[in-house]
Amino acid sequence: MRPVFGKLWLATGLLALLGGNALAHDRLSPFHFQSQGLLGSTDKAAAQRGFLVYETVCASCHTAKALHYRDLEALGLTPDQVAGIAAGVKTANGAPATLNDTFPAPKIPAGAFGGAVPPDLSDIAAQRPHGARYIDHLLTGYAPAPAGVTLLPSYYYNTAYPGGQLAMPPPLKADDVTYADGKSATVAQQAADVSEFLAWSADPNLDARHEVGLRAVLFLVFLTIIAIASKRRIWRETV
Amino acid sequence: MNTDVKPSWMASRMPCLGGWWAGLTTPSMAREAPYLAVLPWLITAGLVFLTASGLVLAVYYNPADAFASRQFIAREVNNGWLIEGFHATGTTLVFAAAYLLLLRGMLARSYRAPGELVWLLDIVAFALLLLVGWLGFALTGGAAGYWSVMNATNAAMLLPGALGALGTWFFGGPDGPGTLARLLVLHIALALVIFFILWLRHGAKKAATPLPAPALRVAFHPYYTAQYFVALVVSALIGCVLLFFYPHFGQSPLNNVPGGPLALATGAGVPWYLAPLAGLSALFHGTYGGILGLAAGLVLLLALPWLDRSGPGRRAGGLWRLLTWVLALDVLGLGWAACGAAGGLSGLLVVVFGAWYFLHFLVLTPIVTALEAQ
Repeated sequence: MRPVFGKLWLATGLLALLGGNALAHDRLSPFHFQSQGLLGSTDKAAAQRGFLVYETVCASCHTAKALHYRDLEALGLTPDQVAGIAAGVKTANGAPATLNDTFPAPKIPAGAFGGAVPPDLSDIAAQRPHGARYIDHLLTGYAPAPAGVTLLPSYYYNTAYPGGQLAMPPPLKADDVTYADGKSATVAQQAADVSEFLAWSADPNLDARHEVGLRAVLFLVFLTIIAIASKRRIWRETV
Repeated sequence: MNTDVKPSWMASRMPCLGGWWAGLTTPSMAREAPYLAVLPWLITAGLVFLTASGLVLAVYYNPADAFASRQFIAREVNNGWLIEGFHATGTTLVFAAAYLLLLRGMLARSYRAPGELVWLLDIVAFALLLLVGWLGFALTGGAAGYWSVMNATNAAMLLPGALGALGTWFFGGPDGPGTLARLLVLHIALALVIFFILWLRHGAKKAATPLPAPALRVAFHPYYTAQYFVALVVSALIGCVLLFFYPHFGQSPLNNVPGGPLALATGAGVPWYLAPLAGLSALFHGTYGGILGLAAGLVLLLALPWLDRSGPGRRAGGLWRLLTWVLALDVLGLGWAACGAAGGLSGLLVVVFGAWYFLHFLVLTPIVTALEAQ
């Protein structure tokens, strides 16, 4: 083998080592979401689990008005599965929901949570900086209030929430849901899954955007080279 | 077919088109203009692109329920997210080209005689572009846009006399259910006025630029078509990187929250291209402070040909060029600080960067140009 290839192999090995380390680091701390990054895509398995958490826990107080049941097909569920999910949900007039219904608004009294209104979750990941990570931190960020912090009545201390005081009680408990894929439903796992689901909900076109984008950019890089070459060739004749 | 002998099928039926093609292929342009001379044309092309993508958005947009209709476009309309991205990224590119055009005009001192009218039309087009950009931002129906419209309508109503009447007529009174419908019409109509200003500018530029000797001229086609194509493809490449990988470039995340009285911006919340202006309007306090800052910033740009005290025909000196580059950084810093990016220091930095803007035009420009003219 020629020495140049030896160097190439060495460089590739080093890169793989570095890359592998970086990946391992990303997955442990800080938490890494597949939807993050330049070429990220929706982790459909996680988003499906996240939808289960959403439906079981979040949906009892929050709305997601921009989502229809049919949109769930984008997460890899079959139309029959989605129809089954929708049929189990009652719309405002009491009839079972269909594929074309939006997620229904839960009935909660105005005075619940000290008058704080649970926000709509359709776009929550786009509304907060570092959306998915923020939601994950918020859901796992409940802690006893430190000394010197006086909580408002029926508020909870949360390290991720701006100002530290949140009207939402800690929503997740371990094993509140049972995952079909057998994953253990710890609070951390549920928080991560529902974060990925809400990241998808805020940016449902992420996969298409990155797919089309990569092709468009590659095409335009080559077109730029051709355009510059042709321009230089045309102008050469004038000198 | 030889057009010299017999006019083509189209030219005999539509003579203006025949003349147009002949004009493109007759040597009538200077040789090897720099790539940045393409900017006015790129802005025009960008506006055509925005008109086309805006047309698609307009047929699905509902000003009575702005935020929900944007959700509908992004989630339900076939490739609606792409068209919305085209419109947002196209705006970024057009504004980048407009800011670069002004910087280039200042560095080259092309605003001096006989180019004053070109410069004035540039500033008028730029001011209109800012207004149309702001109207588009208001139409998003997000929380940042909501508060921006609220502040603008309140300020316009408080203006005295004819200006107040004009403002009231423009907005139709305080922010209410019909406001966005009016702003939608103005967003479209004023965008078309920009084309007219650019056409005037094209005429003024031609009159102000002496043609080289006939032997040194080249035809638009194929020489400049090839050059413009490169500029277009590179712009498209930059646009695609932004559109597909940074779709929210320069926008406040708060604008993804539906507008309403309960969601408040901590900074200016405006898109990047309006941020320097938001900084200037935050500089002055009082009832008319915001409008005063906006107007003063644009009037100073308009007055530049007369603030420059060097005689005609002199090349720009090194100090002037340095100061112009400092001004460019200052405007960037002003926008950055106006968005609240510097945290607790933002208020102070807005004052510092804003004061430098006025110092540059009112004090440094006359003194430095007069000194360099000697």
